[in-house]
Amino acid sequence: MRSQVLHGLNMSSPPLDRDQLRTRLEHMGRTAHADDQGRPTAQPTGFANFDALLPGGGWPVGAITELMPETQGIGELSLLLPALAKLSRAGRYLVWIAPPCLPYPPALAQHGLVLNRVVLVQARDTPSVLWAAEQALRCPAIGAVLAWPAALDDRRVRRLQLAAETGGSCGLLYRPPTAALQPSPAALRLRLKALNAGLHVEIQKARGGRAHALVVYPAAAVCA
Amino acid sequence: MLWLCILLPRFALEASAGAARGPEHPPRPPPAVQAALQNLALWSLQWSGQVSEHAAADGSALLWLEIGASRRLFGDHASLRGCVAAGLIPLGYTHRLGIAPTLQGAALLARAGLATSAVTGTQLLQLLEPLPLALLALPVEQLAALHGAGLRRIGEVLALPAASIAQRFGPDANLYLQRLRGAVHEPLRYVQAPAHFHTRYEFSDPVTDTTALLFPLQRLLAGLQGYLRARERAVQRYTLHLEHRRGAVTRLAVSLTRPSRDAAQLLLLARERLAVTALAAPVHGLGVTASEFLQPLVVQNDLFSRADQQSEQFQQVLDRLGARLGAGAVQAMSSTEEHRPERAWHLHAARLVALTAAAIGPAGGQRDGSERPSRPCWLMSEPRRIDRPQELLAGPERIESGWWDGADVARDYYLAREPNGAQLWVFEDLRGGGWHVHGLWA
Repeated sequence: MRSQVLHGLNMSSPPLDRDQLRTRLEHMGRTAHADDQGRPTAQPTGFANFDALLPGGGWPVGAITELMPETQGIGELSLLLPALAKLSRAGRYLVWIAPPCLPYPPALAQHGLVLNRVVLVQARDTPSVLWAAEQALRCPAIGAVLAWPAALDDRRVRRLQLAAETGGSCGLLYRPPTAALQPSPAALRLRLKALNAGLHVEIQKARGGRAHALVVYPAAAVCA
Repeated sequence: MLWLCILLPRFALEASAGAARGPEHPPRPPPAVQAALQNLALWSLQWSGQVSEHAAADGSALLWLEIGASRRLFGDHASLRGCVAAGLIPLGYTHRLGIAPTLQGAALLARAGLATSAVTGTQLLQLLEPLPLALLALPVEQLAALHGAGLRRIGEVLALPAASIAQRFGPDANLYLQRLRGAVHEPLRYVQAPAHFHTRYEFSDPVTDTTALLFPLQRLLAGLQGYLRARERAVQRYTLHLEHRRGAVTRLAVSLTRPSRDAAQLLLLARERLAVTALAAPVHGLGVTASEFLQPLVVQNDLFSRADQQSEQFQQVLDRLGARLGAGAVQAMSSTEEHRPERAWHLHAARLVALTAAAIGPAGGQRDGSERPSRPCWLMSEPRRIDRPQELLAGPERIESGWWDGADVARDYYLAREPNGAQLWVFEDLRGGGWHVHGLWA
């Protein structure tokens, strides 16, 4: 991908001197979000102020993100929807494992998700949830795995982290707010709480970045 | 004709692998050995349409595959020999291979353990010439008689005139030697692929742990793979039969998203299925049946695109999830035009949708609903009764529908906010009265 861009520069732009070229390359390195094999290392969240605070410029790809909402129904899912919509439109599958309620198909379609790329997995107990998440994370055709395990320890998160690295998808784990007290090897950890009309996002940990907090305004709650 | 002989010197003993082995182990009863040999014959049908098998009284077994006609498909006889040998290793049978233009010639070269193949009659005679008499498949008395006549090498026996052999050593010895050199053809019964696949394995000691089923199952599924390849078919479903005492049977269906004939894939799914199965009683026998066959997906490796490969991997993940968690636990979704929120969606077995997904393609996901009222991301399975919410942020949206099918509703929907910030989708029931929460704006 990078070489194509360079090629394009040569064709259409006047020759650059060495410093200009270096500046252009550095700029591309920051924004292309691609690892050595050309896979993106981050999936833009769709919220510019949020992307700006995340090390790769979006949700970590090939890694685990933990979301710890204070309570249900504050926008904890809407935060993901722009990225999920984009992944599904690119033909990647979205696997939801043991969600607490039905992800309502008409609402997902309203947010631009391709429904025939969405797979729901019911799992009775925590080991089944984690097993299913691991299987799904290893598969490169799956763009994002969302899972709601009842209980989790850092050893299990590390296993899922390895699986996500193998498959190159976004692993998104929903955990209770008390999980924030335990350490975790996840690449990104977010505490979420409601704030007036918005969602207060506290970046508790971001691998390669800094802790921060911001408010985003997911579209979901803007009701008729 | 060119024959590949698979000699299985310890077949009767090894057919009961998984159970205790050793000299004290009683020999398998012939029907069980015969069943195992039949299954291995089905396995070898993938290499050749003409397969013949023979179980000997000493516990060894022989399979002959006519490979002259299959050379077109599998390359020369050396590479085919390599394929067969590689396929036998995971099945755990001691084996030796021989290739010759005659059945007895191929068997003799296998017994001799010669890696060299004889493709023509002349090459066969050259290879046989220096070999010792003991390799001939003749009764011990006849070998002794040949030895007593001063003969030491096979070449010396074959140099004698046929009439003289018949006169001095009997017509049976003469017939065998004629067949060995290819002067007389041997009548053969070929293994036929039956219309339905059924194969079974009998345990010498009952099994109480499902992991003990896996090795025999691997062999049975190898038979299924050979059977399917020979018939140019694939399966989307097969059944495991766990046989208990007194004719009781546990049947486990194993389903796939796409037709397959790959034994490794079939085994993987069975393993997931067995991992979550508690045995009701000890297992005395294990069977595999398949009766619905489909066209295999024709995949040419060099044309196998990255997208196809990913789609294939995705199907395999769905299969594994379904095998372990139950087929109903893996679901796809769709939405329909319907006013009543609880009827505006469907969940169905993921396999149906995953298959159509490729046809619909990613263009299916146009952002819609900008002109329609917004819907919450979480829907509750049943509306839950609540007190009248204190803070209503938006609404009402009147939903009135369903009088024609007896499930009529008349509701005013609102967006409500809880003190903790949670945003609920609530409605006031205009028929029955009262407030209910139906969803969450997550």
